[in-house]
Order: sequence, then structure tokens, then C-alpha cells
Amino acid sequence: MLAIDDLSVNYGPVQALSHVSLEVPRGEVTAVIGANGAGKSTLMRTLAGLVKPGSGSATLDGRVLTGHKAEDVVRMGVSLVPEGRSTVPELTIDENLRLGGMWRSRPDRAASHAEVFDLFPVLGQRRKMRADTLSGGERQQLAIGRALMCAPECLLLDEPSLGLAPLIVTQILELVHRLAIEANLAVLLVEQNAVTALRVAHTGVVLNLGQVVMSGSASDIASHEELRHAYLGY
Amino acid sequence: MTQFIDYVLGGIGSGAIIALMALALVLTWRATRVVNFAQVGQAMFTTFIALSLQTLTGSWILALVGAIVAGAILGVIVQYLVLRPVKRMDTSGAIIATFGVLIALQAAAGMIWGGDSQAYPQPFGNTALTLFGREWPLSAYDLVVIGFAAIMVVGLTLLFTRTSLGLAMRATAFNPEVARLSGVRVSRTLTIGWALAGVVGAVAGVLVAPTSTLSPNSFDILLVFAFTAAVIGGLDSLIGAVALGIGTGLVLSVVSGYSDSSNAPVIALVLLSINLALKPDGLFGHNKARVV
Repeated sequence: MLAIDDLSVNYGPVQALSHVSLEVPRGEVTAVIGANGAGKSTLMRTLAGLVKPGSGSATLDGRVLTGHKAEDVVRMGVSLVPEGRSTVPELTIDENLRLGGMWRSRPDRAASHAEVFDLFPVLGQRRKMRADTLSGGERQQLAIGRALMCAPECLLLDEPSLGLAPLIVTQILELVHRLAIEANLAVLLVEQNAVTALRVAHTGVVLNLGQVVMSGSASDIASHEELRHAYLGY
Repeated sequence: MTQFIDYVLGGIGSGAIIALMALALVLTWRATRVVNFAQVGQAMFTTFIALSLQTLTGSWILALVGAIVAGAILGVIVQYLVLRPVKRMDTSGAIIATFGVLIALQAAAGMIWGGDSQAYPQPFGNTALTLFGREWPLSAYDLVVIGFAAIMVVGLTLLFTRTSLGLAMRATAFNPEVARLSGVRVSRTLTIGWALAGVVGAVAGVLVAPTSTLSPNSFDILLVFAFTAAVIGGLDSLIGAVALGIGTGLVLSVVSGYSDSSNAPVIALVLLSINLALKPDGLFGHNKARVV
């Protein structure tokens, strides 16, 4: 389980996250939703070790993540698929995947590589091609594949739907849902697209101006009218 | 025509050395977006170390190995000197700092080894090769230089395309954040890039020294040629650095042959200006805005 306890992050005088606490159980998708500037990406980048928190902590199965560098956090089992630029377009598909989890043993990596190709057959068919020849949806699959190469126990997905066609978004999120259950991953999903995110998530968390304003089962949050009007704008 | 061919062939050896020095510049640029003007100073310094080793042991190979080790260490030291203090500035601060390191290295070399030009012993024959009944404008030593340059280029290509370290270095150059999130130890990878550049520069220094003399300033002109080659090659491209390095050597040899060797630096700067005016990204560069 990923446990976030009283986490605060400041960018200079601006408080991006304020005393955020939440739990992300294994085998479940937890969706963090909220408007632009709510602190969603900051939360993800802090968990991944790219941003240093001002106070508070995050732990994965009891091991403290906060205070470690990104390259160590990923070794501890937390893999982030960042927003947008999450592949290296100049490298081939195979190279993008090989980049993930270089510290792991060769047989382990080969096994993960094969699993990723099972999961995303299109990547296997085009393994020698440069990543910038892929479509947006395929690129997102590659980004998730690279994260899976790191053998995560906790997967952080930052706006995977950004710029993708609705059908592709549904496919990707359903796959994420399946992954969480089958691989027993703790998945934290950040989305601006609340409807789609809540459809695949078990639990929903609403973030506004850096604070958790509500959390509960995804269906409860999806049907909470006032909340939708107030924070999600639809 | 025969004369023209001779001039062209005569430029291959110096072209190979320019190519190596240009490669060193490209390696640091790719790793950290810093043009390391101290690179020739590092090469000069390690060549002096090699000369001391050569005098001590009499072995050319041992001296070369010593220069390579010293080149790697010096590369790491310079990276720390240049990048750590100016980390919060933009990279132009670091580029200015490399000039400071260059001047400091030249001053230090002058204090240790003196400012006079010293001869670097010739390990192999420097007489023109005779083959197929004619004399060629290449010596056995030129062939050794070309051979070493080829080995370095092939070795670096294999490193970058076939090894995990090479993959980590390329990913770090293109997208350091994704590299870190994948578990690559980015700052260590960058340091290895500077060490590698130091090694390549050190080899270039030991190879070029016997063809002229060695003094604290004797490689300055090599910087002009290598910088020209690296920039026209696109700064980002290893192939570009090698191709343009050899090309620069050939052009300069022809220019020196038909006019005077003192015109060579002017021609290099003219080529650089034309390139910057017409194709500032270089012939092999792909610095255009990346589509993501």
C-alpha cells in the first residue's frame, strides 16, 4: 500500500500541496481528480522523487519514499508515467523499454520485456522503429511499458488521457484497471477528465488548491452533484 | 591534379586529429549542453604528462595510457570545477568558466613544464611512404593516427549503440527526466560523458604532439579547427564531428598547399561564418523543436 501522510509542498511562497493524506491500496486504482492547478502533478512528481516535499511523508509498504532521489524511488518500486513527454522520441521502441529498470538482472528484464509486448502487441511489431513514429495512443502505451519495465509495485499515471481520442483513453484506462488487479499494483491515477477516470477507479480523491476536499468510493464521487459543480466544473 | 590529390591525402592525418578533438567537444555538449573550451587545455596538460612518462620510461604506449587515465580524471575534475559552482546559472555561465579553466591549465602547465616548445618523440617513421612506385604524402605515423582515430570512433559508436551505458547516456542527453524516472543515475552518467571526452581529447593530444611541438599554447589552433568542425557538424552529432573533422583537415591541407599554412585558421573561421549564416543547426544537427 502507498500511504501519503500530511504531505506539503511549496514552490517558493506558493503552497502547491497542503497537508495531503491518502492511501492507495494494492490491487486498486485510486483516481485523483481536480481542476488545473489543483496540485495533481505536484503530488505525482513529489511521490516519484522529482520534487522535494516541505513536510510530511510517503511510504510504500512501510518503506519511506520521501527524501530519496527519483532514480532511487523507482528502485523502491514506484514508477511514474509523467504527463506528456514520457518517452524518448529519438530512441527506438526497444531502446525506450530497455531504458527502464537497467539495474535489474538480464533475465528479469527480458521477462518484463516479453510481458510488455504481450500487453501491447503493437510495440512488439514495431520494436526497431523510433518512438516518434508512433501515434499518441501507442506512445502512451510505450510510456506505460517503460514504467512496467521497472517492475513497479506502485504505478503513478499523470494524465494518461491527455491529447488522446476518447476510444483510446477508454482502452488505456481499462488496461490500467486490469493491471492493478492482475499484477496487484497500487495505481494512482491523476486525471482532469474526471468522468473517465472515476469509471475505472475504485476510489476517488478530489484535490482543490492543494488540499484534499473529498475522498470516497469512485461511484459516490461521480454521483455527488454539488461536488461536481464546485470543483470539477461540469 | 596529382598535386591536388597529394594535398587532399596529406590532410587525412590532421583531419583525423581534428575529428577526435571535435568528438570530445560533442561528447560534453551532448551530456551537459556545455561547449568545453578547456578541452584543448586538458589535452595539452595530459600530453605534457605523457611526455614526462615517455621521458621517464621511454615507452610511447605507456605514455599514451598515462594520458588516457589522466584525461579521464581531468575531465571529471573540470566538470566539477565548471558545473558545480554555476549550476544555478544558465549554461552560458559554465561555458565562460571553461575559458577560465583553459587559462588556468595553460598557466599551470607553464609553471610545471615551462613555456618553451618541446619536441614530442616520433614513435614511428615520419618519412613519406613509397608504394606502387610513387611517394605518397602519408607517413607510417599518419596511418597510425588514422588507425587510432578509427578505433576511437568505432569504439564510441559501439558504446553508444550496443551497451546499456551508451543507452543511458543517449537517453540522458535527450530527456534527463525520463532517464531518471527509468532509474538511470543521471549525474553519474553526465560525469562519465565528461571523462570520456577527456579520454578522447587526451588521445588526440598525444597523437598530434609529434607532428609539431608541445607548449602550453600549442593546441590553441586545434581548438579553432575542432570547434569549427563540431559546430558545422551540428554539435549534437558524433558522425557529424568525425565527417566534418576529417573534411576540415582536407580543406585546410589544400588551402595550405596552394597558398600558405597561415591562411588555414582564417579559412576555418570563414567556413564557420558561412555555416552559421546559412545553416546554424549544422549539417548533421537536429536541434529543431522536438515534436512530443
